[in-house]
Formats: sequence, C-alpha cells, structure tokens
Amino acid sequence: MWLPFIGLLVGILLGLSTGIRVPDAYTSYLSIAVLAALDTLFGGIRAHLEKTFEEKVFITGFFSNIILAAGLAFLGVHLGVDLYLAAVFAFGVRLFNNLAQIRRLLLERWSKKKNDSPTSL
Amino acid sequence: MQVRVKGRHVVLSFVLLFAGFIIAFSYQLTSDDRSLRADTGSQWKVEDDLRNDILMQQSVNRNLTEELRLIQSEMKLIEEEVANHERRYFNLVEDMDKLRMLTGAVAVTGEGIEITLDDADYVPDDQHANNYIVHEMHVQKVIDELLVTGAEAIAVNGHRINQNSYIQCIGPVIEIDGNRSFAPFVITAIGESEQLNLAVNLTGGVVDQLLYDNVEVRVEKKNEVLLDPFFEEGVTS
Repeated sequence: MWLPFIGLLVGILLGLSTGIRVPDAYTSYLSIAVLAALDTLFGGIRAHLEKTFEEKVFITGFFSNIILAAGLAFLGVHLGVDLYLAAVFAFGVRLFNNLAQIRRLLLERWSKKKNDSPTSL
Repeated sequence: MQVRVKGRHVVLSFVLLFAGFIIAFSYQLTSDDRSLRADTGSQWKVEDDLRNDILMQQSVNRNLTEELRLIQSEMKLIEEEVANHERRYFNLVEDMDKLRMLTGAVAVTGEGIEITLDDADYVPDDQHANNYIVHEMHVQKVIDELLVTGAEAIAVNGHRINQNSYIQCIGPVIEIDGNRSFAPFVITAIGESEQLNLAVNLTGGVVDQLLYDNVEVRVEKKNEVLLDPFFEEGVTS
C-alpha cells in the first residue's frame, strides 16, 4: 500500500539530487511535461474517487499526455505557433477542473459520512 | 489477487516515481534558472549602464563637435583677419618702398634726364663775373621745375636730394646738405624723360631763363639713371 508513496519520495529525491542541466530551449518542454503529469495524476485521483479508475487508461494517459504535450510544444516552436501556450492553457483548465471535481467529491463523501455517522452511532 | 494488487501497486509507484522525478527536477531547474536569471538581471543592468555611458559619450562628443565647429569658424575669421593684415602689411611694405625711394633712403634706377649747368666760358671785361657763373638759385630753379614736372628722384653731382635738403650759396661753391659742389653741376633726375625734357625746354622756361642768365646748359635724356641713396653725415636713414 505504501509502495506508491515510497516511489514518489524516491522520485523527488532523485530529481533533486540529479545535476543534469537541460538547455534553456528545452525547459519549456519540461514544464509542459510537468503540467501533463500533474494533470494526469489529478485525473487519476478523480477517477479513483468516482470509482471509474482504470489502470491501463491512467498509465497510457500519463505517458502519452507527457509525450504529446512535449511534442506539441516542439512542433509549435518549429512552426512558429505558440502551441506551448495552448497546451499550458488546456492542461491548466483541466487541472483546475479535476481539482474542483476532487474537492466536490471529497466534500460529498465527507458530508455523507457525517450524515451516516450519527445514525450509526 | 495479492499478486495482482502488488503489480498494480508497483506500476502506480513507478508512475509516481516518474511524476515525482519530473516535478522535482523541474523545480530544481527552475530554482537554478532563477539564480541564473538574477545573473542575467545584473548583466542587463551592466548593459544598461554601458548603454548609458555610450549615450553620455555620444552627447559629450556632440558637444565637443559643436565646440570644434565653433572654434573652426573662429579660426576662419582669424585667418581672414590675418590675411587682411598681411595684405595691409604688403601694401604698407610697398608704400614704404615707394616712400623710401621718394625720401632717398634707397638707391633707385630708371629712365631719366641729366642736366648739366656750367659757368660761362667767356666773361666780357665790362661785366662782373658774378653774372656769369652758376648760382645756387639756378640749381634750385632746375630742381623745382623737375619736381613740379614729376621727377621721382633727383641728385646733384651725385648727392641725392630729399625733402629736407637745402641748397646754399657759400661764395664760389654751393653747399647741398653739407656737401660742397663745384661747377659744373650735373643734376640727375628720374622720371619720364620725355616729359621732363619738354618741361625744361619750354619756351621761356627754365633753360631759356638759365641761358638768359649766361649759364651753359646741356640737357641729356638717359635711358638708365642710377641714383645712390641719400646719406646724411655717414648715417644711412
């Protein structure tokens, strides 16, 4: 059960300890990838709360979103169109949507629990 | 069931590991970037300072150029003035040369005339010899006539005459500026010889009057006359 959190911690430590420098031109791709990853994570959490979580969809979505976002930004840079902004916008909107949804679900669950608990007690 | 759950956890943990890695890496990069950006900020400041310096230098240069132009125009004025002065000096020198020629300070040469006055050879017994010799008055008359006609330089027996010259009778000789002269008196004048000749030979003119006074007169036109400068008691003026 704690394995995913251990994985997260190890990942954070690894990320902090690496001394790899990414050229300035590619930092935007990285930030887009971060956004995509966050979006997929929160999407997964939401799906889990909605009980529609599917492992395959989550994993493929996680990686393909990252790759697609970075690829889109790359394409945009080479076409002279700021597709990077479009990706940031889309992921941002989805991120907030997901967060809102998560908050609502949690509230719902909490209030249901509150309603349930007095009857059980 | 247990295995399946574990596999799922492993996959999830891998995904989270990746996500954590990416986020942490990005965070680290951004913080690095921020410090770098501070560097670029200082660089920008340096650039700004340099640009300001350049602008300042340019304005200073502009001011200096203006000053230079001003000085150049001033210099031009001064040069013109100097040129005027030079012209004036040149004129002055020329004038001085002419005046020197007139005052007899320098030797002059040119076409002219030579008039020789001599005592009469024959003196009748019943006449006084005084009436048959050349008097200073005669020389004076010739010189006056020559001056009036426009002679530029005159000398008597080689002694240059100038504005201060005097001609004095001291018995049998004539003194001109302290130099004694005896007959015959050779009066040399520089000027237009034709005109001088005509003026002297006028009917009832100087030559006629001299002849009337029993003076032997000989007028001779000369193409080249050389007059020595005027010396006053050995001092060149």
